[in-house]
Amino acid sequence: MTEARKNSLTDKLVIIVWIIALIIVWEIGASVVEKTKRSPQNVLPHLSQIVESVFSDKMVSNKQTAFQIVITNAGITLLRAGIGFLYGAGAGFLLALAMHRFITVEKATFPYLMMIQMIPILGMAPIVLAITQDINKSRIIIAAILTFYPVATNMLDGLKSVEKEKYDLMRSLAASNWNIYTKLLIPTSIPYIFSGLKIAAPMAITASILVDTLQGGAGLGTMLSQSLKHAMSIYVFWQIVFFSATVGILSYKLMSFAEKIFSPHERAKGAR
Amino acid sequence: MANANETEINIKGLCVNFPDKDNGGDIQALKDVNLAIKEGSFVSLLGPSGCGKTTLLRSIADLQDISSGIISVKGKTPKETRLSQQYGIVFQSPVLYEWRTVRRNICMPMEVIGLPKEERTRRVDEVLELVGLTEFGRKYPHQLSGGMQQRVGIARALALDPEILLMDEPFSALDEFTKEKLQIDLLSIWQKTKKTILFVTHNIQESVFLSDDVVVLSPHPGRVSAVVNIGLKRPRDLAIRETAEFAALVSKVRHSFEGIYE
Repeated sequence: MTEARKNSLTDKLVIIVWIIALIIVWEIGASVVEKTKRSPQNVLPHLSQIVESVFSDKMVSNKQTAFQIVITNAGITLLRAGIGFLYGAGAGFLLALAMHRFITVEKATFPYLMMIQMIPILGMAPIVLAITQDINKSRIIIAAILTFYPVATNMLDGLKSVEKEKYDLMRSLAASNWNIYTKLLIPTSIPYIFSGLKIAAPMAITASILVDTLQGGAGLGTMLSQSLKHAMSIYVFWQIVFFSATVGILSYKLMSFAEKIFSPHERAKGAR
Repeated sequence: MANANETEINIKGLCVNFPDKDNGGDIQALKDVNLAIKEGSFVSLLGPSGCGKTTLLRSIADLQDISSGIISVKGKTPKETRLSQQYGIVFQSPVLYEWRTVRRNICMPMEVIGLPKEERTRRVDEVLELVGLTEFGRKYPHQLSGGMQQRVGIARALALDPEILLMDEPFSALDEFTKEKLQIDLLSIWQKTKKTILFVTHNIQESVFLSDDVVVLSPHPGRVSAVVNIGLKRPRDLAIRETAEFAALVSKVRHSFEGIYE
């Protein structure tokens, strides 16, 4: 117990040291940039300037402050990223089951899934947009495509990891396929599914932001590029950078938390 | 209750062949096995690796296809017996579901056949007491020692109250002290439940200590080279291992192997 506590303390210390180091490097960089450039806030503003802009009342466009812009547009982007993520997770789950149940499905789909995964999202997004003619649907579809693959492949690995004796046990009980899947195969693959979800969650968010940039209107990506083009305060850009990074990390943490809910025996390990 | 004279499992001319990947032919895993196992008896299948003892157990359990011969379990085929859940299997490793507590692991077979919840709770309490794990029902497998995990495996095999307990080297991964304790406890469980037990092992002392009959299997091809009756008194305790009678039986079993000690 003391050993475990010592370890978690060390972990926290490492994180704190990293954050402090990053802040120092950032601030040194900002000070250097400040002296050389005419508009240093475009290249590397001081962290204090960014924080200040978050709490500033100054309207930067359409009667909104910089932070209000970030929050309203984040809602538009993240909601679609979330919906796409759920669709993708569901489709990945079902396809993994189908690939495991029918070897022909695996042979027929698996190599092509990998190919879809190799097309850069930057190339795929305009095609999806051209087909759907709708930016919201495109956000959802791209997020779903990105989520779907890691969930399907990881879950398939999980389904294949079941030991022979566990099958023998089920067979000796004359268990139905339904029982074999619900009591053995799916529970075994839960940690694998969550590995996939943890990879996919931040990716779905990044991809949705990228899809935003394809069309004007709204969304974090649109604001990002407008801010870069000086259509509005550059601090919108910096706020979005930090905001997106934070949300990406939180999405990962959310998946870890959900995994703990689904695996009580892992919680028991932690509590020991 | 069990009638000691009735034959539970009758095996005639059993052959099991495996396809040989190297030269395309067949490997004879079991050749012409004839065996009668009495109801309520404790029978060990003893032999070195490759003698087909596990294959024999798996054939009886209907986990292995047989090439020729007949296996009859009280007039029923192994498949019929399996489908009526009359086999309880204990593996070499505990094969527990690590995401389920001890209680829910033992519950699993009963969930599969759809027993009502009150019945499940009652049975779990019963078998937990039988294997001496009443205090540990809420624990997860990783919180238990290897010996305790194997007790859970035994409890789960007993959960549906099957006719026959099939045990495939269940104690071979345990340390000597844990193993002796579990052997004693297994004998007491057997005496309480009157199951027919088939026990695969490669340990001569273990087979003599536990069994009514030791079936000696020799390899290449796997065959029964002798069936040694162990007439030691029951109930047995560890002290019996130091008697001359025990030593004589161990030596008799050792000398029944064909083609191993030449």
